[in-house]
Amino acid sequence: MILRYELPQQARDKIKLTENERIYYAVPIDINDEGNWCSDSYLVVTTLKVYVISGDRIKSFEIKELKKATAQAGVGNGILVVDHNGTEMILANYSAKHLSRYAYVARGINILISGRFEEVESNEYEKICPKCGHVIPGTKECPHCSENGRFFGGFVRLVRTYKMDFLGVFMMMVVIAIMTLLSPEVQKRLINNVLKKDGEMKTAMLYLGIMFACSIGIVIMNVLKSNASARLGSKISSDLRLQLFEKYQKLPLSFINERRPGELLNRITEDTKYISGFMADIFCNLFAILFIFIWDVIFMLILNVKLALMTLILVPIVAVLMVRFQKTIGRIYHLQFKKNDDVASDLQDVLSGMRVVKSYGNEEAESSRFKHLSDGLSLIQKRNDRYWAFTDLVISALMGMGLVIVVYFGGRDVFGQKMSAGELYQFVAYTLLLFQYVGWLDRLPRDFSRLTSCLDRIYDILGQDVKEEDPKALTDLDIKGEITFDHATFGYKSYQPVLSDINAVIKPGEMIGIVGASGTGKSTLINLLMRLYETDDGRILVDGVDMKNISRNSYHSQLGVVLQETFLFSGTIIDNIRFSRPDATIDEIIRAAKLANAHDFVSKLPDGYNTYVGEKGYTLSGGERQRIAIARAILTDPKILILDEATASLDTESEFMIQTALDRLTNGKTTFAIAHRLSTLKNADRIMVIDGHSIAEIGTHSELLNNKGIYYNLFTAQTR
Amino acid sequence: MSENNTINMYEKKAEEMTATHMITAEAVFEKTEGGFLSLEYDGKHYDRIKVVRLFPFSDANRYISVREHDGNSEIGIIEDLGQMSEKTQKLIEHQLNLCYFTPVISKIFKIKDEYGYAYFHVMTDKGECKFAINMGSNAVTKLSDTRLIINDVDENRFEIRDVDKLSMKERRMLDLFL
Repeated sequence: MILRYELPQQARDKIKLTENERIYYAVPIDINDEGNWCSDSYLVVTTLKVYVISGDRIKSFEIKELKKATAQAGVGNGILVVDHNGTEMILANYSAKHLSRYAYVARGINILISGRFEEVESNEYEKICPKCGHVIPGTKECPHCSENGRFFGGFVRLVRTYKMDFLGVFMMMVVIAIMTLLSPEVQKRLINNVLKKDGEMKTAMLYLGIMFACSIGIVIMNVLKSNASARLGSKISSDLRLQLFEKYQKLPLSFINERRPGELLNRITEDTKYISGFMADIFCNLFAILFIFIWDVIFMLILNVKLALMTLILVPIVAVLMVRFQKTIGRIYHLQFKKNDDVASDLQDVLSGMRVVKSYGNEEAESSRFKHLSDGLSLIQKRNDRYWAFTDLVISALMGMGLVIVVYFGGRDVFGQKMSAGELYQFVAYTLLLFQYVGWLDRLPRDFSRLTSCLDRIYDILGQDVKEEDPKALTDLDIKGEITFDHATFGYKSYQPVLSDINAVIKPGEMIGIVGASGTGKSTLINLLMRLYETDDGRILVDGVDMKNISRNSYHSQLGVVLQETFLFSGTIIDNIRFSRPDATIDEIIRAAKLANAHDFVSKLPDGYNTYVGEKGYTLSGGERQRIAIARAILTDPKILILDEATASLDTESEFMIQTALDRLTNGKTTFAIAHRLSTLKNADRIMVIDGHSIAEIGTHSELLNNKGIYYNLFTAQTR
Repeated sequence: MSENNTINMYEKKAEEMTATHMITAEAVFEKTEGGFLSLEYDGKHYDRIKVVRLFPFSDANRYISVREHDGNSEIGIIEDLGQMSEKTQKLIEHQLNLCYFTPVISKIFKIKDEYGYAYFHVMTDKGECKFAINMGSNAVTKLSDTRLIINDVDENRFEIRDVDKLSMKERRMLDLFL
């Protein structure tokens, strides 16, 4: 994302940079004071000052007079607010287009305020190409502007990877094209040499035999070619799917978070599906048809130039009409799909909310609403079908006209002895062949560009740089369990910090209870500890070593996690317990299950430890799943333990079972436990209260009670 | 004893949240140096307040909630902005413009669709502009049969108040999204 735009000369003249002043950020302000769009305003941040330029006016603020900058998001816009000598001031108003840009700039200003000179950089992509104004479909470079993304770029790359397979399919297509073009020639000879000359049965049989062989050959070759190209398609898509999946696992979670979840899923499912579909339906005919088309025209010209030109005049007319019709048809059918969607979603709404509808006696109102939608759909359907029939008629009529022209003028030539009857027949066959593929050719550019944009998106992900960890810089650490938060700051979205400036030292073996209202960042803190994300600013140290410098394997093997909702993979119970340590022996697993109070309920299951659980398997209750998760955690004998609402939403009995299991687990380990019910934190050595993105209070239970702060209020409210 | 006090405090807070205060013309809004609004109401002074539309679509200028700066507690509701003094109206409208930005489309010059995205060139009440929407997603929300909200790829919002008021040609261009 661009944080330093090129300023127009007029704006540049206004800023008089002093010697050791340099422009850090320059971003447009696109809404003016009256709340209208504007294009002549900029916010410029330099080493020393913040400038607000709007047209001729310029305001400037010394960085050292500022305390804090925040980018506040509104509805469809946002404002940049700074604290200038204790007064909060609005510096800029901008549309949603610049929301995240300003968040980075605000962060950059804050870094300058704190006396550091690092420059903030954004890894997010631009959504609209600043050069050509086209939407960039989720890739780093604009496919319209960048050279390697241009049109066939992705396709060429694909062909290069699967050279031999493509060559095979290509050869088959050439053979088919030759055979298709050959059969009218044979037919001509049949007419000229046999029918017109009272030819012998033998020659007739010969020609018929060749024709028959040709048709059979075409069918066989077609089957072979379709097979080969479908196979190639699924090979390509499965290769790409696999590569994508592997890449996803390597990419940092922050990359995944910057994108909508559906988008990433679509790369694997939809984009690769399109590619295999394209190979099977379009590519397999591509060269065959192009080949046929070109030679078809050449043969027609050879046979009869005059006639050919007359027919070919019709081709552009038919082509233009078809393009027109197809556009309209695309449009009106799109409309029909939308209406269809409306009906389906309304139906779904009403059916799933049937109890509410019935209990309020609203059946009639719902019925009439549904009728309205359904009528709308049927009206459009009727209209569309009529249109469809009409276009079909027009196109067929035009093609028919072409044939009439050919037969009329060609017939005259035949009678005038300028052309043989067989040649006329051949010509008619070529004309039909030509019209057959005109419509198909028109679709080609669109299908191709869709394919390339699919490929671009996939290659974009595959080409993503993964920060390869330097194995030399990483250490394997035997963790004792001291954790230090050193100015740790983090946010999922660039413009919304979730945790800022967290500072704390946790002693080895200490149990920390984490308390706070929902949405304050408790789970985020834990995500950081689990190393799912990396801090934006500041550090987290484990035994004095920066977490980023500990090798992932070593760290994760000493970390245990029990979350609120335990996810069991499809597989048996033993597989699920073993998940944390694949080399665990059966004895160890049983011991872990016993410690987790899971052994007894597992013994009661008919299939014991071999019980199949997961999405389609045996359903375990919440408490049972939780105990499996605890067994999983016990198995690794972790040094650091994370419990995220491990006992929430359980009934009292299973809560007791789990609590005792947890007590065994946490004994002597550095533990972080999030809880809403404070009673579950009675064993905690210290309590950390998170509020307003940072640690509001930290201390022992009694310290915090004496403090009479947030914890005290929570505690009294809960123990009432 | 002190525990009881806390409980009473919570109860009082909960009770207070149920009360609705109407802000009338007596309240004094002032623009602060930084461009925000301060309020003098019911004998209390608020350095910086926040205004929120309760019915941004159906009643943009009625039922405006005036809240403390952090947005957590409501000071009161302005039932009808039109009933306030002209100066107050201006101040509040300006403040609303800072938190809401939904240009209303008055004229469509061109819509071009290309490879799954539609490029709009329109005139709005905030000036002329161009934007692009993703045709695959639900970029167009229907508030009613004739009223549309369009979300562009940058998450900007645009509104079409009444589709029927557009010309035949403009409507045909829009057809794809209705």
